[in-house]
Amino acid sequence: MKALALTPVRRWTLPTLNGRQRLGATLLALLLAFAWLVPWLFDADPARQQLTRILQLPSLAEPLGTDHLGRSLLARLAAAIQLSFGMALLSVTTAAVPGVLFGVIAGWRGGWLDRVLGSLADACLALPGLLLVLLLVAIAPGNFWALYVGISLVLWIEYFRVVRARTRVLVASPQLEASRLLGFGPFYLFRRHLWPELAPQVLTLAAFGAASAILAMAALGFVSVGLRPPTAELGLMMIELLPYYHEAPWAMAQPIVVLFVLVLSLNLLAGRDPR
Amino acid sequence: MSPYLLQAEGVTIQGEGVTIAPFSCSLEAGGRLTLLGETGSGKSLIAQSIMGTLPRGLAARGRLVIDGEAFDAADATSRRALWGHRLALLPQEPWHALDPTMRSVSQVAESHRHVAGRDRRAALQAAWADLAELGLVDAGSKLPGELSGGMAQRVAFAAACAGGAPIVIADEPTKGLDAPRRDAVVELLARTPEAGGALLTITHDIDVARRLGGEVVILRQGQVVERGPAQQVLTHPQSEYGQRLLAAEPSRWPRPQPLGERQAPVVSTRGLAKARGGRELFRDLSLAVSPGEIVGVVGPSGCGKSTLGDMLLGVTRADDGEIHRAPGHPLGFQKLYQDPPTAFSPHWRLARLLDDLVRRHRLDRAAIAPLMARLGLDENLLGRRPGEISGGELQRFAILRVLLLEPCFLFADEPTSRLDPITQRQTLELLVELARERHCGVMLVSHDPALIERICDKRISLGGATSVKKRERELDPALA
Repeated sequence: MKALALTPVRRWTLPTLNGRQRLGATLLALLLAFAWLVPWLFDADPARQQLTRILQLPSLAEPLGTDHLGRSLLARLAAAIQLSFGMALLSVTTAAVPGVLFGVIAGWRGGWLDRVLGSLADACLALPGLLLVLLLVAIAPGNFWALYVGISLVLWIEYFRVVRARTRVLVASPQLEASRLLGFGPFYLFRRHLWPELAPQVLTLAAFGAASAILAMAALGFVSVGLRPPTAELGLMMIELLPYYHEAPWAMAQPIVVLFVLVLSLNLLAGRDPR
Repeated sequence: MSPYLLQAEGVTIQGEGVTIAPFSCSLEAGGRLTLLGETGSGKSLIAQSIMGTLPRGLAARGRLVIDGEAFDAADATSRRALWGHRLALLPQEPWHALDPTMRSVSQVAESHRHVAGRDRRAALQAAWADLAELGLVDAGSKLPGELSGGMAQRVAFAAACAGGAPIVIADEPTKGLDAPRRDAVVELLARTPEAGGALLTITHDIDVARRLGGEVVILRQGQVVERGPAQQVLTHPQSEYGQRLLAAEPSRWPRPQPLGERQAPVVSTRGLAKARGGRELFRDLSLAVSPGEIVGVVGPSGCGKSTLGDMLLGVTRADDGEIHRAPGHPLGFQKLYQDPPTAFSPHWRLARLLDDLVRRHRLDRAAIAPLMARLGLDENLLGRRPGEISGGELQRFAILRVLLLEPCFLFADEPTSRLDPITQRQTLELLVELARERHCGVMLVSHDPALIERICDKRISLGGATSVKKRERELDPALA
């Protein structure tokens, strides 16, 4: 009797992206390549001041010019993208993991646990997001961690709500009941039934969440309550260069363009074709 | 001017691996045409090509004459102006076609206003008149969610026909309905030809075709196998396929081999009671299922047939009474679902799902191949996902999946109500055979009394809100 070859070849295929998403992915890849290649190819320190060479036009030595303290804008932009993106990634992960976890638990178990988690989310939502971040930043000024915890605390609720609503429907579905009768445990049910249904929505939320985390951080930097100088951060760079916009408009424009492209690429990546 | 309301001449459909051979038909005023065939026979595509709603990638060719006006079937948009006015489509499972946030009368009035072009007041009056005629006065101010399936269907019918279209196309209008509701729908459909219109019905239910009468066309794989008056085609089919189709009617099935001596029951209940939503489903229900026995459960929709099964499986709790399950079978209580695709996660290949099961319970892989052959499942199917194989194949795969666990009790909740007659017969015959062979008790729910009568050893009928009639009937050849 021949035994059937049951185990299929494990194949990792890239998720199919539509035109817009592909554009977003390309833009993001270019920005990230820029951020990580520049420190590697150019020997430039984002914090090194050269007061004899302030607000210089782009040249061969300084491809993007210098700022009001003679710092290399190329190096500063690269560092700022690294910081913003790393921060966004970190906040999104720390928001998504508990958000999905609590969402699944609340949707699955229901009852008092659902109510407790639901009220917790409502309580977090009752405080305006920016206020929560400002509050934490006021407690620990200029601290990266305060900023990060604040942003994550605001972001996790979206995941929680979406996942909880979807899980409630799925848990009552015949496919879960069938697998449960067949003797499969909760981890299997999550992996085979819940996650494939949840993943597209969670990933979309993650891309939007990353964009809003980057914007929040830049906004806080711009109103000078976020990170402190001399950190290279997009919002901080904008506010530092604002007084010189007349003499050096190109310098001021750079962090703005980078922020715009970064957020745009993430939003494009998140936007699925409605059809 | 031709005497025909609807004429199709040499309509062919091609694309994406689908070919529908030239199809022609003529329907005069008062005419009825029924397209009969299994899933995938292309019967819905013919209706869509007449409406001009073929899915992308498919192209129709041929000539259509609708109400005296000629159209080229290839030009899909040309018929759009006829929708509602001269052509009306009653969609599959019409209750899904109603807007859940809008009261029924407004939905009907909307058609009167925007399709028939009446003003707001006249439209509302006409809508109430329509509902009154269909015996739906009480339903007018309700939302679709508050209506029963049959009522929702009549509302959808009223909305579809409000434009006064003389030609009605009904696509599987009775899918998933129980016998009384199905008959009510047929009666409703018959009004169109009686009023001088033309009716084109698409169905896989032979009974529906028989009740509607008129002309019947049997389709298979895009080819017309047989056509003629219903009376003749449905009693003495000439084609081999037509004969098989008729033989698939439950009342003509061969009886399964009788159950031998009854052994100790795998599951039994005493004094079982359950209420739902303040309504008592049943009370004081006692039953027993022996190994290899097929117990049929019949009753109107919502009478608690599925709930009873879920209680026996231990998924739902009983309000009162006790259930005794044979010990030593922790995984021995399994279920087959009405709509096979909903019982599988659609994202994984069948091989992966089967492999998961084998690994989870350390099953013997060697048992799979012979069982698959027995169930008529091709090995290639394992490489596909649940949505990529037919409903019949998937239901047989579901049977394979539960049988690997060697169950002692199987609750089959209308396992074939969404399958066409030939597939239904194959699936149920296999199920009965395997149940006998493997000493697995089966509780079979069906809305088709003839089917239960034919293959079950015992019958339980649930029904009525308070009074529960329970009748156990031993297998009696005299009732054949």
